[in-house]
Amino acid sequence: MKKLLAVLFSLMLLSFVACGKDSDVIESGKTIKIGFLGPMTGDAGNYGKLMSQSVKIAIEEFNAAGGAEGFNAELIVEDTEGKVEKGNPAIEKLAGVDKVFGIVGAVFSSVSLAVAPKAEAAKIVMISPSSTHKDLPGKGKFIFRDVMSDALQAVVFGKYLAKVDNVKTVAILYVKNDYSQGLAMDFKAQYEKEGGKVVAVETALQGDKDFKTQLTKIKGANPEALYVPNYVAEIAQILEQAKQLGLKTKIYSADGFSNPQIFELAGDLSNGVIYTQAAEQPASQNKINFEAKYQAKWGEKPDAFSLNAYDGAKIILNAIKETSSKGMSGVLKVDRDKVRDFVAKTKDYDGASGKITFTADGDLVANIGIYTVENKQFKQLKMFKLDGEKLAEIK
Amino acid sequence: MNLFNIPSNELLQHLINGLTLGAIYSLIALGYTMVYGILKFINFAHGEILMAGTYAGYYFYYFLYDPSKGAAYTIGIFIAALVIAMIASAILGVVIEKVAYKPLRKAPRLAPLLSAIGVSIILANLAALFFGTKSKKFEYPFNNSSMDIGGSSITPNQLMILAVGLIMMAGLKLFVDRTRLGKAMRATSQNQPVAALMGINVNLIISLTFAIGSALAAVAGVLIALEYKVYPTMGTMAGLKAFIAAVVGGIGNISGAMLGGIILGLLETFGVVILGIPQGLKDTIAFSVLILILLLRPSGILMKNIREKV
Repeated sequence: MKKLLAVLFSLMLLSFVACGKDSDVIESGKTIKIGFLGPMTGDAGNYGKLMSQSVKIAIEEFNAAGGAEGFNAELIVEDTEGKVEKGNPAIEKLAGVDKVFGIVGAVFSSVSLAVAPKAEAAKIVMISPSSTHKDLPGKGKFIFRDVMSDALQAVVFGKYLAKVDNVKTVAILYVKNDYSQGLAMDFKAQYEKEGGKVVAVETALQGDKDFKTQLTKIKGANPEALYVPNYVAEIAQILEQAKQLGLKTKIYSADGFSNPQIFELAGDLSNGVIYTQAAEQPASQNKINFEAKYQAKWGEKPDAFSLNAYDGAKIILNAIKETSSKGMSGVLKVDRDKVRDFVAKTKDYDGASGKITFTADGDLVANIGIYTVENKQFKQLKMFKLDGEKLAEIK
Repeated sequence: MNLFNIPSNELLQHLINGLTLGAIYSLIALGYTMVYGILKFINFAHGEILMAGTYAGYYFYYFLYDPSKGAAYTIGIFIAALVIAMIASAILGVVIEKVAYKPLRKAPRLAPLLSAIGVSIILANLAALFFGTKSKKFEYPFNNSSMDIGGSSITPNQLMILAVGLIMMAGLKLFVDRTRLGKAMRATSQNQPVAALMGINVNLIISLTFAIGSALAAVAGVLIALEYKVYPTMGTMAGLKAFIAAVVGGIGNISGAMLGGIILGLLETFGVVILGIPQGLKDTIAFSVLILILLLRPSGILMKNIREKV
């Protein structure tokens, strides 16, 4: 009897400790807060707008389905303008004031890398729908992404250009941010390893509008192709000025190119650009349903990142729902570690963007698509995966 | 010719790029220098006046824009948009002077400067609020396909920038040197109280100065908008560079502003190419030049007055 009491007592103590330390309590009538971190204004504002709209849909669906034990979720959108210096106060607010349980974001790699340590320390599961920098998953066990890594993108593209498209010489023009620089360097290393020759590497600053000096130098180097792993605001200027300078090389880019705003900014010049992005899996019913819903609600089409944002939000919300429980006097207990573990176990999740599986360090298991633009429409040409060192086409 | 191991056609291309950039800086620098010449004060809201005028021109242009009506129509409304932009900027410049600077004319020199910075922040934020922060494309009114000259290419827009820049600057020079109003302007800049005693309406001359400087900035604004799009902060960096150009050429001196702009444009382009300065550091060239000029020749290349006025 004494023994039993002792066991019970220690169990109670343990659960108290658990309550105090590892789980947060949401009082009845309050909401489960989820953050979105991304550029809502500025040149990159369109990225954040499209993605946050996805998260809103995910939250509405979650609430309509009864939430977690009757608790509704609420979205807190923080604008980063795509800048690290705005991202830092934003994460402080989400972690310290709003005490969110999950974050969809950040959008740009530079910002994600900057805010990840804070999210990790505050035990906030962060799933970035678009930060492709190779170092991001290593930033902590709470840090995930459901977009493929640049390292993979760059490696596959390096092999693809050298072996499949048989391009012998390439010039690179990248913008000095984590995303572009990471891609440019990884691509260069891989492409040169495959025997290709990089004849010019030029740089610019984010927000630059004039690339004529760089493009003139590139024209002088006379490459077969130009690789511009940047975002649409810069790519649009580059495409236009390359044409003005009579630079007639093929243009290659990365998934930053996949925002439909490019058609507005660059028009017909976007035709024929070839770029990499996560492979489009056979159009699932999930994707069709989500796109229809998105179109009906917001009156525009979601981009690829928005599909990721939607899936990321769903994964977080589902993990909260599955791991939280009702506590005394009607409160909801959410255990941040359990939420994280549940998210980490995600395998073959059937989302709008396709099947999602996380690697041990929170990266996405992905195939790579080679895309182009025809008549102002994105179109997938081929699909590849890395089979060890070899590039294998998926038919 | 193979200067610094750069083929001649590439050098020519850099020259074209540098000259067009310089022409833009010159046009904007004129506004700084004219205001400084008369009021001895830097109008830091100049870049935002440029931006506001450009938006006025942009919305006017797109209100009437209709590619199906043919090339002549498009060029017609573009010229009209240019005029609207000039008028809008001129009015804004004059109003800002009356509201934010005139009451401070007798205050310590720091006061109007701070007022100018305040106005510039207000304008940029108002623009962000009303027009949104996304870049807007200002469609070329003509086919902007480049032409080949000796292995380099030049676009019609670059030619237009050079031509418009030249015409505007020549026009201003003629106006200031040859007309009665221009004479009044020069007199006001030399000695305001005495000019007033001679029967010159000093307030009118100051308003005129702001109007002309702002209108020229609007021209520059529309020309750069074609190449670099329209957005609320478009005037900030351009304005800063133009200010440097004005200082380099000798602030208060109209020919100096023109020269300073061209020099800065060429330095930015060739500094990257010949000195091998990384492109990412392009903006530091302008600021380094500013520091050098201030150290070595504080009154600018075309010295206006050797002695500081007492």
